[in-house]
Amino acid sequence: MTRSPLRIFFATGSWAILAFLVLPILVVIPVSLTDTSFIGLPREHLSLQHFDTFLHSPEWLHATWTSVWIGVIVGAASTTLGTAFCIGCWFLSDRAAMIARWVMIVPILVPPVVQSLGFYKFWVTLGLIDTHFGVILAHTLLALPYVTISVFAALTNLDRRIPQAARNLGAPLGMAIRTVILPSIRPGMITGAIFAFIVSFDEIVGVLFLTVRRVETLPKMIWEGIQESVDPVIAAVATILVFITLLVTAAAVARSYVASKPQAS
Amino acid sequence: MSNPILSVRQAVKTYGKFRALDAVDLDIREGEFLTLLGPSGSGKTTLLSAIAGFTALDGGVVHARGGDITPLPPEKRDFAMVFQGYALFPTMTVAENVGYPLRVRKWSKQDIRDRVRECLDLVQMGQFADRMPNQLSGGQQQRIALARALSFRPDVLLLDEPLSALDKKLRADLQWELKALHERLGVTFVYVTHDQDEALSMSDRIVILKDGAIQQEGAPGELYDWPRTRFVANFLGKSNFIEARMAGREGDRLIAEAAGHRFAVKPAAGAPETGAGCLALRPERIRLGRPGEQAFAGRVKQISYLGERCQVLVDHDVLGEVLVSQPTWHAGVRPEPRMDVSFGWDAEACVPLTDA
Repeated sequence: MTRSPLRIFFATGSWAILAFLVLPILVVIPVSLTDTSFIGLPREHLSLQHFDTFLHSPEWLHATWTSVWIGVIVGAASTTLGTAFCIGCWFLSDRAAMIARWVMIVPILVPPVVQSLGFYKFWVTLGLIDTHFGVILAHTLLALPYVTISVFAALTNLDRRIPQAARNLGAPLGMAIRTVILPSIRPGMITGAIFAFIVSFDEIVGVLFLTVRRVETLPKMIWEGIQESVDPVIAAVATILVFITLLVTAAAVARSYVASKPQAS
Repeated sequence: MSNPILSVRQAVKTYGKFRALDAVDLDIREGEFLTLLGPSGSGKTTLLSAIAGFTALDGGVVHARGGDITPLPPEKRDFAMVFQGYALFPTMTVAENVGYPLRVRKWSKQDIRDRVRECLDLVQMGQFADRMPNQLSGGQQQRIALARALSFRPDVLLLDEPLSALDKKLRADLQWELKALHERLGVTFVYVTHDQDEALSMSDRIVILKDGAIQQEGAPGELYDWPRTRFVANFLGKSNFIEARMAGREGDRLIAEAAGHRFAVKPAAGAPETGAGCLALRPERIRLGRPGEQAFAGRVKQISYLGERCQVLVDHDVLGEVLVSQPTWHAGVRPEPRMDVSFGWDAEACVPLTDA
């Protein structure tokens, strides 16, 4: 492999862009280790005191737990609904199904503020303001496009004759879906569920519109914390979030690597 | 016909203006190897799909063992199908694939294990039971698809161009195997293909379809020797077409005149016996000779050497280009391009067609 100047130029450029994307995220790590009582870089020495504060604060832990269980329910609900929708569209595969899939993507295109305003007006009528159910419902609707994109991508790779073969061999439609289609598109469903969880876990605009005091999620708590004070515990929380995200992503990548291995041999 | 195992009556299927099936009647006898042969768009796959229950007919009925199965969903019909591209379940091992119809039928674990082994042995794939489908070659996947379809002992096996994705040599091997399997099991095979060699080599009976309608049906030799239309004569093997004037019968033979020669042909039902007619003449029924040896004089235009056979395109003033196929071993004349030759054929070599 020759190292031409052009090649070196592009390689350097790529790494510089990558650094620009990643470094602002990593800056929270030194800030979270600060020994000061306000947001800033460490002065004298590194300290874990803000992590300690986080782990011993009932409010922070409660908000974290709320975000986690809401995210898990949103992941499960949107994956179930999105997968059912995709399989239906895949079987129909006519013009109406294609239009339905496009309509499903719309929430990604609409500005979050506009969408949240819509949720707010409607949720007031339904009496869902400041309820966990209201947040779960809104997040499920926001996460559905990501699930349908990921699941439908898995379905387009599936041979249409495979469910036909299952039915021909004696399986009724429901059984064919359960035993043949779902196992084949599982990677797409898992990716969709992870996306849905992340969408819900760091969603802030909708939560600010739809909740008052009773529902407290982690992003909302960070937001309020920054407004009220400059407590470095926020940087500690951010650091924990970065590491959790890294772990989840690494797990997903490792999974797909393991899954692709037998095919390579 | 004695007691068809499956019959289709007046089957119609349209997609918009396109008539995929146009009032098709078909009876399938128990135990036969029936091939539906036709070019793409002829309706052969639609017909198979209607029998399997994947295509809802716009008109007509499908009967199996005398009962109407038209409204039944595919899973209630008990016909196994081997799909184009095999359609093996990618997340299951070979053994799980083959055992799938048995699990659906709630067989016991032990029975499933025994039957799966038996079926894999039947297709010589016993040692591959624990592999995943994507670890197998095309020919191996084909065998697994066959084992899976046969595992629940269906009465009828439907095959949709099962060999089309394989290379030529493997295809020829599997043709022998399929034919042997058919004879061993006595299962009725309904085989869809666009490949005339496959149809000729395996079938008990061939049904030729075109534009959603049956053109002609019969045993391979019968169809090859007695095509009724230009389409059949040219789709099943190759044919020369001779525009002739039919001069009526002379005894039990029919007299035809073309290019100043009179010759006898065997009468065929439905073909005109007087006036303008069209004769089909197989290339291998024409003899080449040195100038003057045979009735027609011509000049070699092109030669295509195929190893066992040699195809020669001969120009004739009136008949136009005539295709001659002769064995390369013991050929009477070794043709060269631009060589003057003569050609001719025996009485009854030509077949009168109905669509003159």
